[in-house]
Amino acid sequence: MEILIALSRGFQTAGKKTRLLLYLWLVYFLFSLFIAAPLCALLEKDFSRSVLGETIFRGSDLLWIGDLLYQYQNLGPSFPFVLFPLAVAFFALHIFLNGGLIGRLAAEKENVRWPGFLRDAGKYFGRFSRVFFLSLFVYALVFGILGRLISAPFNLWMKNAQTGWGIFWASTLRFLIFLLLFSCLKMFFDYVKIRLVVEDSRKALRTSLSTFRFLKAGFFRAWMLFLLVGLVFLAVTGIYLLIAKGFPKSGTGSLFLAHLWEQTFIAARLWITMLFFSSEYHFLKSRLAHFGNRTIEEK
Amino acid sequence: MPKALVSLISLCLAVRFLGGGQEVPAGTGSTPLKYEIWVELDDQAKILRGREEIVWKNTTSEAVSDMWFHLYWNAFKNEKSALFEESREESLLGIKTEKGGWGWIDLRRIVLADGTDLRPTLEFMTPDEPRHPEDQTVARVRFPAPLQPGEEAHLKIEFESKIPRPVLRTGYYRDSYFIAQWFPKPGVYQEGRGWNCHQYHLNSEFFADFATFIVHITVPARFVVGASGRQVRTVSSQDGKTITTTFVQDRIHDFAWTADPAFIRLERDFIADLEVTPEEYLEVAAKLGLPPESIRLPNIKMILLIRPEHRSQIERHFKALRAAIKYYGLWYGPYPYETITMVDPPFRTESGGMEYPTLFTAGTGIMTDRKVLNPEGVIIHEFGHGYWYGLVANNEFEEAWLDEGINTYSTGKVLAQAYGAGMFSPSVFGFPLAKIFNFPVYYDYELDRLGAILVAERDPITNPSWRFLSRTTYGLNVYQRASACLHTLERLLGENLMLRIMRMFQMRYRFRHPETGDFIAVVNEVSGRDMTWYFDEFFFSTLNFDYGIASFRTNKKKNLARGIFDRNGSKGEITEKDARKPRGEAADRESGEREERQDEMFLTRVVLRRFGEARIGGGFEIRLRVVFEDGTEDFKFWDGQSRWAKFVFERPSPAAVVEIDPERIWLIDSNLANNSRKTKPSRAGIFRLAAKAIFWVQNSLHFLSALS
Repeated sequence: MEILIALSRGFQTAGKKTRLLLYLWLVYFLFSLFIAAPLCALLEKDFSRSVLGETIFRGSDLLWIGDLLYQYQNLGPSFPFVLFPLAVAFFALHIFLNGGLIGRLAAEKENVRWPGFLRDAGKYFGRFSRVFFLSLFVYALVFGILGRLISAPFNLWMKNAQTGWGIFWASTLRFLIFLLLFSCLKMFFDYVKIRLVVEDSRKALRTSLSTFRFLKAGFFRAWMLFLLVGLVFLAVTGIYLLIAKGFPKSGTGSLFLAHLWEQTFIAARLWITMLFFSSEYHFLKSRLAHFGNRTIEEK
Repeated sequence: MPKALVSLISLCLAVRFLGGGQEVPAGTGSTPLKYEIWVELDDQAKILRGREEIVWKNTTSEAVSDMWFHLYWNAFKNEKSALFEESREESLLGIKTEKGGWGWIDLRRIVLADGTDLRPTLEFMTPDEPRHPEDQTVARVRFPAPLQPGEEAHLKIEFESKIPRPVLRTGYYRDSYFIAQWFPKPGVYQEGRGWNCHQYHLNSEFFADFATFIVHITVPARFVVGASGRQVRTVSSQDGKTITTTFVQDRIHDFAWTADPAFIRLERDFIADLEVTPEEYLEVAAKLGLPPESIRLPNIKMILLIRPEHRSQIERHFKALRAAIKYYGLWYGPYPYETITMVDPPFRTESGGMEYPTLFTAGTGIMTDRKVLNPEGVIIHEFGHGYWYGLVANNEFEEAWLDEGINTYSTGKVLAQAYGAGMFSPSVFGFPLAKIFNFPVYYDYELDRLGAILVAERDPITNPSWRFLSRTTYGLNVYQRASACLHTLERLLGENLMLRIMRMFQMRYRFRHPETGDFIAVVNEVSGRDMTWYFDEFFFSTLNFDYGIASFRTNKKKNLARGIFDRNGSKGEITEKDARKPRGEAADRESGEREERQDEMFLTRVVLRRFGEARIGGGFEIRLRVVFEDGTEDFKFWDGQSRWAKFVFERPSPAAVVEIDPERIWLIDSNLANNSRKTKPSRAGIFRLAAKAIFWVQNSLHFLSALS
């Protein structure tokens, strides 16, 4: 029941703070546009005045893809040098956004405004950055060492497989276990961030330890809540794919609708991010209210 | 019927056939080689023990003093073999062998029929450059006396081979075996050149003489065996522990076999009358210029050895094989053997997608999607090899494209005819993502063109296989670039003429060993034009083909030129403003004589350029099409010899589009985008792609965000 209440409140809070969704979508869109712009510029330069360019509208065609690959084949080696700084920039941006997002979600009674969002984003940027570096370390440790241990029986299973099915099941199960493991870690760091906001703490490490103790007391409930929201994500993805496959491949109107549908899906994904944080926030708050912060830590 | 009339009809028929795809009987002489092999599989030790009797007849006019053999499995003996040394130079595409996974072949005994022991004369040979001195994949023995023309050598060989862990489509995994290139096989003796017997190279396939094979394979009784040729009998040992199956086949040049207890063995018949309608015979016969009765197909026994986990795909396998037998048969000539064995490769033997005479391995996954032409593509391709490598048995060491390129081209044709376009299929853990997402669909020729343009300037297609820059350039050149060049040739000459060329090449060189020159000769003969330039440009060279529009302008024509003009004894200046005035008014200033005002005219200037080094030849020209805004069109032709050509059009309408090669004959052109230019850009496609790109970046970023 506690989980469902947290989830329900999470839905309500995320539903009320739609302006946050607008901010997130806008930032994602602009950042993606920044990355996609060079590709568009290349296409504009090489194809906008070419008859071959008309085939792009009709969909993917190996003739124009071939031209593109041929003309820019030398750019391949420079990709990592472009992608790495972009990834770093995105992480920095996302840490910043998370501050605004959780800060505004936690300010339950306040309306979402751009200045407030930016203030929270700036306020928590340093703390969340420390959590991010800590999380990277933990991910590397868990997936590097524990991951190998977990993989060992599956590798053996695959090695001794008699058919392709053995490989399929071993790979799928291993992937599932890694996914669940990742969900635990992701959930843990979500709560660390939420707690930093709720307690307005600057101590990322200490908060991490107290979050660890907190989760120890109610791990399965917290995890079930996380997985429930994860199921919402899966359901949304399924609906998106089902409808997206049915869109006609030609016609300006249907293509416009298809792009609109894609952006709706992106918005839904971002909203589910909000749902994760808001339901976790309510779960944390209800636990703190029920047991008292100190009590949980002492446990 | 009067004799004169009979002669006249005969003459007419002869002329008709010469005008079309003249059927020439293939090589019909007896094979110079006979094998009888007894081989036993030691399932515990993973060893083959064999006896081999070879009869080789010297059909040349030279005395032959020795005999060279391929001992292919010695390539897997250690890292000093040519194959492993070449592999070391590759990064991802090299091969690796685990501990205990090595393979080898030992000649234990080699004697002539009279008992003369040739073993002491055995030495390993390394004929190819660059040298790999410790390679043991080629050996020779010396005859006590040279073998005179017409004489036969009868050899008795005993050999023992360690089966390797799967490597280059041979080996074992647990109790599944795929056994290829496994017996001592003589090279091909070529008059004036000696033994053609190359070492086993990383990039090379094989070359051997046609022969008669009788092979007795003994395996533990629980195994299901499949092999090249016809299965004539299976005998169980007295204790019931082993079975010996005998396979027989004439006029093949290799023999492969497989054994796996898990195989399901199925037989079906290809019944030509059910597969090909009379209308189809008529249609193809008309294209080939042959009488319909001469292209009738025979019935064939189809055998499938399939793994139980792929049982649900049995019908897909047979359907694809029937399509392959039908179209290869109709287009290139009837399949000449009684059986064809299709093997779903044993799990983890890495033997999928490979051809052997009358047997090939396909390959599929545990889950498939109908939109993705897998296993159909590989079935059609590997069966097709039976026509080119199998029947028109070129030297794959020296001119791999004659098999791989021609077969990639013909696979694309058959696949398109039988199935249409296929979908790309990335998969995750064996699950085809095409079940969830829509991926691009494509025809093989598009994929071939993509590979072709990426390697055009690396290696000539006709390089010996081990002399390519890398495995990638070998693959892309001999398969895809050769195929794309053949598609271009088809577009140049026309589909029917190309079909006649391919059929003529197939039928004339069946059971022979043609070279690239023979193919060019057939192209020239059937097309009636000298196409040698085409092969010089695209097969023997590394020239990039790229013709394009260098510049394109369309402007209102100025009615007058600016400057000082003498008119009626005085000098007057025509200014920019005057020049832009309507013709009548301006002329009035210039000449002093009023003219009737005329309609505006537009000048369209197009400069074409040859950006690449390759050039058109043989009297062919590249076509320039100009479409004007009023909907009219104009065409010009350019021989493409110089670096550029300029064309000017004066029309009452400005041009909207200029385009060269509008029919897209020159598929091999590396830059199709510069083949056309429009005055007004159209960005709908770019917006579409940009929106897609943004969506995928957003998705990727959202996944990435889970870490922060």
